[in-house]
Amino acid sequence: MAAQVRVRDKDSLAQFLGWFSIGLGTAQVTNPKTLCKIVGASDDGIAPLVMRLMGLRELMQGTGILTRPRPTMWLWSRVGGDVLDLSLLLATAVKNRKARTAFAIANVIGVTVPDVYESRFLSRKAGPVRSAKRVRKGVTIDRPRSEVEAAWAAATELRRKVDAEGASVIVAEAPGDRGTELIVQFDYDPPAGDIGAAVQKLSGSDLATQLSDDLRRLKQQIETGQIVRSDGAPDGHLLADHLKQRAAQPLKEAVR
Amino acid sequence: MKATIWAGRNSVDVENVPDPKILNDRDAIVRITSTAICGSDLHLVDGYVPTMKKGDIMGHEFMGEVVETGRGVTNLQVGDRVVVPFPIACGSCWSCRHELFSLCENSNPNARLAEKMFGFPTAGIFGYSHLTGGFAGGQAEYARVPFADVGPIKIEDTTIPDETVLFLSDILPTGYMGAEFCEISGGEVIAVWGAGPVGQFAAASAKMLGAERVIVIDRFDYRLRIARENLDVETLNYEDVDSVPEALKADRRSGPRCVHRRGRARGALPRARLCLRPHQAGDAAGDRAADRAARGDHELPQRRDHLGHRRLRRADGQVPDRRADEQGPLDQERPVPRAPLHAAAA
Repeated sequence: MAAQVRVRDKDSLAQFLGWFSIGLGTAQVTNPKTLCKIVGASDDGIAPLVMRLMGLRELMQGTGILTRPRPTMWLWSRVGGDVLDLSLLLATAVKNRKARTAFAIANVIGVTVPDVYESRFLSRKAGPVRSAKRVRKGVTIDRPRSEVEAAWAAATELRRKVDAEGASVIVAEAPGDRGTELIVQFDYDPPAGDIGAAVQKLSGSDLATQLSDDLRRLKQQIETGQIVRSDGAPDGHLLADHLKQRAAQPLKEAVR
Repeated sequence: MKATIWAGRNSVDVENVPDPKILNDRDAIVRITSTAICGSDLHLVDGYVPTMKKGDIMGHEFMGEVVETGRGVTNLQVGDRVVVPFPIACGSCWSCRHELFSLCENSNPNARLAEKMFGFPTAGIFGYSHLTGGFAGGQAEYARVPFADVGPIKIEDTTIPDETVLFLSDILPTGYMGAEFCEISGGEVIAVWGAGPVGQFAAASAKMLGAERVIVIDRFDYRLRIARENLDVETLNYEDVDSVPEALKADRRSGPRCVHRRGRARGALPRARLCLRPHQAGDAAGDRAADRAARGDHELPQRRDHLGHRRLRRADGQVPDRRADEQGPLDQERPVPRAPLHAAAA
């Protein structure tokens, strides 16, 4: 089965470089003096101001890379930024003659390589921009197909949620007498690209995150007749509430 | 009720906590008459296993008397005496149908987290962090047992004392599994690295399964003495010899078939490899085996251990003749309110 899993233009290296920009930029903007010391520049005078400006540049580039579906120009702007950084660092090296400036230069060169690689990779992309990510969430339920189909038909709330996303549902017999596979598949294209995706994931509001719980619960319901409750998760597992799980102690009040 | 709780790294306490209640139809509540501390509890106490929360009730080896059952539990009655195996199993998923109970696909509500961390999920386990579900454990006066129609082993013979059957909850089947991995068909030489309780059970099980010679290797003389006296096995203190492989050869013990290793004996597996006959599988039983495998740490061909009721059910047959489980790895016995002392002693 040749299921195309990756359908979007942006790959994980671009994502990494985007988050890298955000991280470095945040450090430069909030702590310019420390960063100046690290690269061997003086921490007074104009240097911290330049550092902060470069940080703003990184933040802008990072946001662009993460939010645009095919951020070719934003990646090339990172290459330009690397050249700018290198020339500033060279000037610093000539002026202050510190070993740590050489170390900083080596680091910038280290990140210039993937920047150029990824910019060229994205430059070769042609055709319509593809921003959506194909998401497949499945569960194997150890029951005959008819039983799983009936349970799916009865799960009206879950079905409504899945339909609202325009997802397709595949019910198929699993190989080797392993019951039935229930697969939900959809294209996921949140507003604000990867930043939007990160926000939705953290808040548990996207369908993929919710399906992780919903499909497991459906399996529990069909196979065992109940939602599994532990003392830590007395209402069953919910990813959004995961960090808020209580200690493994009996509850004071019955929850049913 | 009183319960032993995890109170932070290297800190264990006894606290008053609410009594457990039935949450699902297939639950039962057990009044605990005996419970044990496992070597793997140390990994919780010292913070090696992540996702412990302050207040978590510890303990996954316990037995007791059923005091309440949910509507869905028909095979147990109030008053039944049961040993509760540590993996919680639903009995109705594919893994459970194939007796791979420790891989139950439904009993661990936090399975997704375990899946992300280990690459595979485990069943729910009593008192063993939130990775295995966040279930309250059995070092307490009462415990809620989910899927009580599947796990608990009824002990109907009232003349058998608790300490004879308690270890069916974990360490006897763990040791038995180590021996079973050795594929003993009669006449083998079996070397057991580690003479702690699990190693003792492994040695006893190997004997029972028909091994001709069992050599138990450790550095603690008192453990080796217990093995010699109770199990009628040979022993070797590895601190008394320059080289274990050489010592085995010198004694014409060359070529043990299989090994068993438990817990913290670091480097036991690579050393063991030097002693084995070619192509003999060495196996690690116990909770560190899976994480070694996850790290790609395969000095020896290992089989992933699917410890669970499957072993428990088979080991069940050992109870009547009281061989494997009678001898004394039980070295201390204390009531619950003194548990922190016991934990410190362990």
